[in-house]
Amino acid sequence: MTLGTSNRLDSAFDAIYAAIAELNLQMPKNRQIQPRPDTALFGEKGQLDSLALANFIVITEQKLEESFGIQLDLTQDDPFSGQNGYFGTIESLARYISSFTETKSSE
Amino acid sequence: MSNELFNLRLVSDFNLETLGRYLDNDAAWPPVATSIAPFGQIFPSLLDSAGSHEQNFCFVWSSLEGAVPSFRKMLDFDTVDRTALFAEVSYFADCVKKCHSRFKATFVASWTLPSFYRGLGILDFQNNAGLRRLTLEMNLALIEELDGIAGIYVLDSSRWLEVTANPWSPKLWYLSKTPYRSEVFGRAAQDLKVAIGTVLGSARKLLVIDLDDTLWGGIIGDVGWENIVLGGHDHKGEAFVDFQRALKSLRNRGILLAIASKNQEEIAFQAFENRPEMVLKLEDFAGWRINWNDKAANIAALASELNLGLQSVVFIDDNPVERARVREALPEVLVPEWPDDKTSYASTLLQLDCFDLPQITDEDRSRGQMYLNERQREKGKAEYQSVEEWLHSLETVVTVEELNQSNVPRVVQLLNKTNQMNLSTRRMTENELGAWLKQERRKLWAFRVRDRFSDSGLTGILSLEAGSNGHRIVDFVLSCRVMGRDIERVMVAVAIQYSRSLGVSELTAKYLETAKNKPCRDFWLRSGLTQGVENTFSWDFTRPYPLPAHLEVIGLSDDESKHELLRNREGQVTSALL
Repeated sequence: MTLGTSNRLDSAFDAIYAAIAELNLQMPKNRQIQPRPDTALFGEKGQLDSLALANFIVITEQKLEESFGIQLDLTQDDPFSGQNGYFGTIESLARYISSFTETKSSE
Repeated sequence: MSNELFNLRLVSDFNLETLGRYLDNDAAWPPVATSIAPFGQIFPSLLDSAGSHEQNFCFVWSSLEGAVPSFRKMLDFDTVDRTALFAEVSYFADCVKKCHSRFKATFVASWTLPSFYRGLGILDFQNNAGLRRLTLEMNLALIEELDGIAGIYVLDSSRWLEVTANPWSPKLWYLSKTPYRSEVFGRAAQDLKVAIGTVLGSARKLLVIDLDDTLWGGIIGDVGWENIVLGGHDHKGEAFVDFQRALKSLRNRGILLAIASKNQEEIAFQAFENRPEMVLKLEDFAGWRINWNDKAANIAALASELNLGLQSVVFIDDNPVERARVREALPEVLVPEWPDDKTSYASTLLQLDCFDLPQITDEDRSRGQMYLNERQREKGKAEYQSVEEWLHSLETVVTVEELNQSNVPRVVQLLNKTNQMNLSTRRMTENELGAWLKQERRKLWAFRVRDRFSDSGLTGILSLEAGSNGHRIVDFVLSCRVMGRDIERVMVAVAIQYSRSLGVSELTAKYLETAKNKPCRDFWLRSGLTQGVENTFSWDFTRPYPLPAHLEVIGLSDDESKHELLRNREGQVTSALL
């Protein structure tokens, strides 16, 4: 079964939110990550420090494998450089994942 | 339980920041604040004595190669001298011991070899160079090196890795020098909290259990004892037998069992009397309430009967309504969620961590029997005209002894667990108690109690401190299992006689109130000592303190080689005892 673009995006959001719920167990009460599309993740306004981002990447990759059945390396580009758009917000990450899975499914 | 914040020092050769975050954010008791030694510097951190005196606990979690550098060569299948490798294990253990001297307790994680190392494959357990075999041997060597050191506990880290199919994450390692996925640290944090709670004396002592569909399958009042599901060639019947075995194992460890069941007592008893598959016998239970009353009220009555606080109680029932009722009415009672699937009963019970103890003493192992004896003792009470006559009939013997290597674990346990008859409710580790007693002006005695029914074991502690104004009783601790049998008066007499023998002019005892030690104040009010200000009690030294005539007191002289028995039936403790 193939997923449409909209379904892919929804699934990407679901996987990210599931990863955030898990990540929040190790985040202080006053630094809980809000599961909203516009939540900034990493970079100037981001809420994740480098260790939290590393944990978030690994958890998210695991959730994506469970959801899409594919292995996605979210560190192909340097996630800590701050220059990469897809870790800017939850939405940018979801769109990156959705587009990646679309490419993968068409291969 | 106190809301005190406990400090936990984390020491590792890898990044433990994620573990620290889990621990700092976990709201469950006990609250901890972590501080993390710089990773990659495990030996300097273990040996660094500066600035960590405010830490309560320490946790050491190292990789094999981080703690034992020669193991790195083993991973490369390079030539390694085994003797040198095990000498490194010893050195690591020595560093842990040195580090431990600064903490109340130190926890050390066992070593694990990542599953992606295949090592020598099918030869990995058969050859001296096999990595997995060597890991086992190194763990055993470490455990033996640390065995018997009070306050050091080796924790099984393999349990934490079982939380996920792939506990190791090479990506996290390369990104942050963190070898494990987050879930592993989450599980480790839970286990560490339990370990700290265990050292602080949070263990539960009483397990109250339902009968129908819990101890056996079916409603005995409806189907009769012949048709309850238990044993036989039936998967559920076998599961109930295994569950009873698991309960029996707890009883053998010193956890008291009791029954709270909505049933007719004589009908429920028929299962115990007639079904040979019953692993548990009635005498395995310290008490029961089998009636149609509210279970919460029955549990409270059982706890009171056994002289235990509700914070010591766990309740297991298959019925979610009963569980909810007890949770609501008795929030201090632990009511674990219980599976619908009967085949999961035993494994669910065996996973409970609330019964963990920092040490297991002979008194723990025989606790169930002691309560059975207590029931016989109380039953016999009705046959006597007065309480004095009954006390005489018990033929109680109290043995007084000083602190020694064999009794110190039990003394520390009693000091940390006793709530009701406890004058100052001091909680101390073995190391802290040893340090406190190093000063000659301090003295401590332990009291053993036996009677014609049973040997209750070491059940009392008395400690004194000499000051410029005389002697002060610091610890006055008596187990609830022997309270109300005048052992308290023996302890006061020992304190007074000792002080008199040294010509001290004043002996005082200051009662420090807690939520649970009212019975202690009640005793001191009727002890015969004079009550002064702020719950301070003192004795007029012009007269000896009378002992109850029904007690025999035995003590060992200071010169243990004499081992002379010093008996007293005349209302005086002989001074040779002291």
